[in-house]
Amino acid sequence: MTTFDVELKDIVKEFESGGGRVRAVDHVSVQIEDGEFFALLGPSGCGKTTTLRLIAGFEQPTAGRILIRGRAMEGIPAYHRPVNTVFQDYALFPHLTVEQNIMFGLQMEGVHKREARKLAAEALEKVRLPGVGRRKPHQLSGGQQQRVALARALVKQPAVLLLDEPLGALDLKLRKNMQFELKALQRDVGITFIYVTHDQEEAITMADRIAVMNDGVMLQVGTPKEIYERPGTHFIADFIGETNFIPATLKSREPMGFGQVELLDGTHICAALSNTLAATRGPVTVAIRPERIGIAAKGTAQAAGEETALDAILVDSQYIGTDTRYTLRIADSVDLVARVQNVDDRKADAFAIGQSVTLYWHPSSTTVLDH
Amino acid sequence: MRQSLINEGAMGRNLVIRRLGGIGLWLNPLFAYFFLWAPILILVLFSFNNSRSVASFTGFTLTWYSNILNNMMGAESAFSTEIMLNAFRNSLFVGTVATAISTVLGTMIALAMARGRFRGKPLLDGLLFLPVVIPEITQAISLAIFFKVVFDWVALMSGERIFPGFHTIIAAHVTFNISYVAIVVRARLADMDPQLEEAANDLGANPWQAFWRVTFPLILPGVISGALLAFTLSLDDFVITFFTSGVGTSTLPVFVYGLLKLTVTPEVNAISTIMMVLSTILIGISLAIQGRTASRA
Repeated sequence: MTTFDVELKDIVKEFESGGGRVRAVDHVSVQIEDGEFFALLGPSGCGKTTTLRLIAGFEQPTAGRILIRGRAMEGIPAYHRPVNTVFQDYALFPHLTVEQNIMFGLQMEGVHKREARKLAAEALEKVRLPGVGRRKPHQLSGGQQQRVALARALVKQPAVLLLDEPLGALDLKLRKNMQFELKALQRDVGITFIYVTHDQEEAITMADRIAVMNDGVMLQVGTPKEIYERPGTHFIADFIGETNFIPATLKSREPMGFGQVELLDGTHICAALSNTLAATRGPVTVAIRPERIGIAAKGTAQAAGEETALDAILVDSQYIGTDTRYTLRIADSVDLVARVQNVDDRKADAFAIGQSVTLYWHPSSTTVLDH
Repeated sequence: MRQSLINEGAMGRNLVIRRLGGIGLWLNPLFAYFFLWAPILILVLFSFNNSRSVASFTGFTLTWYSNILNNMMGAESAFSTEIMLNAFRNSLFVGTVATAISTVLGTMIALAMARGRFRGKPLLDGLLFLPVVIPEITQAISLAIFFKVVFDWVALMSGERIFPGFHTIIAAHVTFNISYVAIVVRARLADMDPQLEEAANDLGANPWQAFWRVTFPLILPGVISGALLAFTLSLDDFVITFFTSGVGTSTLPVFVYGLLKLTVTPEVNAISTIMMVLSTILIGISLAIQGRTASRA
């Protein structure tokens, strides 16, 4: 039997709120493996930070169990748990120097001062911030404070490192750099990271697996590719990346996870079904990513045998440098967005507004979701 | 032509009104500060007056200040340096003990109010400000009655009679000082990120360690400035002390009041000036500590 680094079993967390009870975490179960970079992704107020705080021990679950390295965490206070947290606003101790901040956790363990000082210097080295040990946190930039917060948590060599939107306060460029660095650091130290973010791009580029949360419910857990390619719900498809939604009716399920759907104008197309699709027939939504839609002038018949082809009229086009965004109207006034990469400058404005075109895509590029 | 004359007249009137308004705005603070400071200035001035009479300023002298220290007094007064110094020692004793007790209790209340989650907190929070807003004489009389009731009850139960003394003065000073300390420390706690305590817990510090290593160093400026405020209030208090003191426990303000019953002597002016300077210095330090740390946070 495998033991997981972190295991949440049917966790419920309710808060008192003005007489009523608000459920912040709703029956969440998940298993996180040792050394995994696991992202908790969702909009603000979805329960991701509460989930993190439950693991850290700052909050106690209303129901359910938390296991860290196979050990039940009931009644174990935050200061006895083998986890450390990187807080959103860093929470560095303003009255202590950078070195004292990093040594704090070691001294609580009873590590000798000289040894602690050595480990603190190594930790600063690891986050590529050597030589700032004597400074106070407020003398450092936001990005540097971020690194100190990382060093302070990593120096404890926790079983799990919890990160609460650690890059949220940094500007875009710095954030991009830190994403790479964090990922490299995680590979280097081999510690399990549980990373809370509302930035879907951040989750996709960094995480081994992503759990998407909304309204306290963990909607889907999977690799970034699974989440992006086969979103389980309308919410996920909408929240992660850009998606076109086409209303349709499911006519029949076919083997290999495909199905026949009928669009509003009566056209039948083949589409891939979501793994969690409940409907066997009836109203559904077909989701397709803008970059998966191909465009050809009508009559040029580019669509290969198994590809889906639909007639459309180009209603708008927008040049955005790397891509051109086309807005295309199919039957029943449904507008789709297609993104075509501008691989050379002639292609950038290949179609004129008002032109009749044919859209084509492979059925596996679509996902049929419950309505 | 006529039209423009009328307009010029109106413009002239507006100009006069604006001029007057300007002068008024300039006079307003002048009068306000005059009312605030004139009595105090007169007190300070006459503490250096080379005459027993307060009728006119006849020349500069330090006689009254040296009289305070050298036991020299006019024939009509029963001034004694020894009694004054004794009253001053009483003041320092009461101030120190009351400050120590109220600083500990006030800080604890501030922590409970800022971090605790319990029923009726808003009400308790409001009650904390009560000693600051209710008239001092009300508080003084209520304390005097309270002590009498309690001492009567103790006498009835045990046959021992407790008399007012330092313990009653100190208890009374603690009651009003707690509020001031709690309010100052609470303001400091409100500025502190509660996540810092969580961070300390997260790094393995139990609540006790987290308090002494993180919370306390961060609120220390508030605690010190609260203590200085409490000490100053304690040193300056007359009304509550007067109603709760017993025999031989007169503090400096009570002693000064005793002198006034005879006559306003220049020595009283000198003592008052010294007390004012002392209080101003203490409050100044308290404000400086608060301001310096606030601007850094």
